[in-house]
Amino acid sequence: MSGVRQWVSGLGLAVGSVIVTPHVMAQTAVSATDGVNGDTSSLESRVDALDQQIKILQRLRELAADSAAAAAKDRQSATANAKDGFSLKSADGQYTLKIRGYAQADGRFFVSDDASAVADNFFLRRARPILEATVGRYFGFRIMPDFGQGQVALFDAYWEGKFTPAFNVRAGKFKPPIGYERLQSATDVNFAERGLPTNLVPSRDVGLQVGGEVSSAALEYQLGIFNGATDLANADADLNDSKDLAARVLVQPFKQGTLRGVGIGLSGSTGMEQGNATATDLAGYRSASQQTFFRYRSDPLVAGNTVVAEGRRSRLSPHAYVGLGSFGVLAEYVLNRQEVNRAGTVATLTHRAWQASGSYFLTGEYAGFRSPTPKKPFDLKAGTFGAIELAARYGELDIDDDAFPVFANPTSAASKAKGLGLGVNWHLNKQIKLVVSYEHTTFEGGATDGDRASEDFVVTRFQHSF
Amino acid sequence: MRTRFTVPGTIALALAMGTTPGVAQGAPKPVTLLNVSYDPTRELYEEFNRQFQAYWKGKTGQAVTIRQSHGGSGKQARSVIDGLEADVVTLAVAYDIDQIAEKGRWLKADWQSKLPNNSSPYTSTIVLLVRKDNPKSIKDWGDLVKPGVSVITPNPKTSGGARWNYLAAWAWALRQPGGNDATAKAFVTRLYKNVPVLDAGARGSTTTFVERGIGDVLLAWENEALLAIKELGPGKFEIVTPSISILAEPPVAVVDRVAGKRGTKPVAEAYLEYLYSEPGQEIAAKNFYRPRLGSVAAKYQSQFPKVELITVDGVFGGWKKAHQTHFADGALFDQIYQPGR
Repeated sequence: MSGVRQWVSGLGLAVGSVIVTPHVMAQTAVSATDGVNGDTSSLESRVDALDQQIKILQRLRELAADSAAAAAKDRQSATANAKDGFSLKSADGQYTLKIRGYAQADGRFFVSDDASAVADNFFLRRARPILEATVGRYFGFRIMPDFGQGQVALFDAYWEGKFTPAFNVRAGKFKPPIGYERLQSATDVNFAERGLPTNLVPSRDVGLQVGGEVSSAALEYQLGIFNGATDLANADADLNDSKDLAARVLVQPFKQGTLRGVGIGLSGSTGMEQGNATATDLAGYRSASQQTFFRYRSDPLVAGNTVVAEGRRSRLSPHAYVGLGSFGVLAEYVLNRQEVNRAGTVATLTHRAWQASGSYFLTGEYAGFRSPTPKKPFDLKAGTFGAIELAARYGELDIDDDAFPVFANPTSAASKAKGLGLGVNWHLNKQIKLVVSYEHTTFEGGATDGDRASEDFVVTRFQHSF
Repeated sequence: MRTRFTVPGTIALALAMGTTPGVAQGAPKPVTLLNVSYDPTRELYEEFNRQFQAYWKGKTGQAVTIRQSHGGSGKQARSVIDGLEADVVTLAVAYDIDQIAEKGRWLKADWQSKLPNNSSPYTSTIVLLVRKDNPKSIKDWGDLVKPGVSVITPNPKTSGGARWNYLAAWAWALRQPGGNDATAKAFVTRLYKNVPVLDAGARGSTTTFVERGIGDVLLAWENEALLAIKELGPGKFEIVTPSISILAEPPVAVVDRVAGKRGTKPVAEAYLEYLYSEPGQEIAAKNFYRPRLGSVAAKYQSQFPKVELITVDGVFGGWKKAHQTHFADGALFDQIYQPGR
């Protein structure tokens, strides 16, 4: 500033001199006119030069201000928003750290359980902080533990290289690419618990996967090699040297128009398994209320009498999602074939499950594979209340008849489960969802006197995700 | 194994498999393009975009919105490398798009072979814009180093136009009797001693010269100089065509990875191809860019004075070599121009 003031002062003096000079010169001899013109010209030049200097200084200040404004845009940022949660970002955008998470608090009520065999409960189903980072242009990682159900477990911990949309590499612990509803986030599923087919696929496995999207996401693929986790398992290690291969393709043929929400896929896995008496590599299967209705035989006294996985396990799952405006349907079928051994008796058991699950938004939101942002989020002042979604589903899980009686006890393990679910979901905004679900499950077998008692299960959930 | 399919299972499979064929689609979904361009092309692309939108809507029924981003060419390239999602780039020098291909891998290295004329649909050159009556009697490059002459040109580190200015001056110095790299360096050094303000881009320099009234001469794109005279009137400025100048070939390219990811590749390709069409060339000429198409070039012949034009390939061995020699960090320009000295 002082520099500018000096120039302005200088210019003022110079201009003052120009104004004063004619009066002074008028008092001198007329013969001096040539000299006066010369001096005037010189002064004008000096004024012009000073004027230029001032303009240059002003322009430099403008440019400095522009640079400062541009630099401010590029500065590291700390943000909080609905999409990314809380995040830190480097100036060049290549390093980011996102802190996200979600929690689900349930009320679980067994309304037809007259004998109170299962206690009604308030229950913290999931409490999962999520840490996601990008490190440089291509690389990143994600860590997600779970503190729900009074336990601590690591669910996601993987490194990822995103080289092009068509090719990325993921290594660590994550969802293997099989089981369509399993691949849907726990915050996006229409009911408090996933359907019966999810019993036949693993939850998390450790391995290496390549994947990507081709033709503007018209084709999505994953191909990976994994330890080979048991059905429903959140596994951290393998029991043998053999590894499982898993793959999936999803075609979304319509990028525009009414059918743009249609996706059709096929996934599968195969691998050799070897369980033992203490880690059988076999799972029990659960109803929607998370009650186990089927389990293989085990004998704590005679190890050889326990059923173990021994041989090939293969899974195949066609699946689809159809989003037609406010109406969406998820359909999947899972075929699970497992070689088992009990005291030298071997068999190949094939279990099957399927479900069709639909939902409809009364408030007009688009029913996609992921939860929508309500058109009118909950706001008391504005008189808006969010989005209301109605949901219904039906599914079955059918245990191979050859499992009975050698590998499973027909008086305690059901051979079939049929589940009907109805639900209402209230999405107050992108972060808060309230769920009320009713699940009616019937069984074939599984009791000494015939069929296991049917379940009527009501669950309420408060979900907060950010 | 026995394979069993229950009736409900079959229904689920049918739901999964039977939903695709035979359903008609509606009108094409509207699409948005981002054109990341250099500083002085605002007016060109504002007019061109309107014309293309009408053409594309008529041809395909698809509405297209085109967003523009302008700045110094080098700076714009840096932004694209850093993740600015440009569907197309229309920059001042091929080297900047090479950098996007090489450092960002946003498009293939052979991008320049995708369209005619090395993917350069129009050309321009560098002229000298002076104030009314040319008070400092500037007639050629040599007059720019005289004491008391104030020269306005942008920063070659950020502006493509500035790099053309610099190379044109260098080429003129080489042509002088006894001219060689040493004398050219000495000449350009003296020239930059007469530069009081380095803007980041060509439009900024025009603002400095025309609106802020700074300097005696602006080294300008021919199109920018003609535009200034058209908008401000011939009574305020004059164009001085130097004895030689440089053939500037601003290139264009589709940013494959972005356009592929966003599903905009067909419209992005059509957008650039339309620059070569007669309507596209007409718009370029009306905005004072030299058209490639013979019929349009003949129509606007009188608009562009004849001047001997040297090429970057011919004098400097191509843009890559020119950049390494003159504009890379620590190269000749950094030696020549040191702020504050």
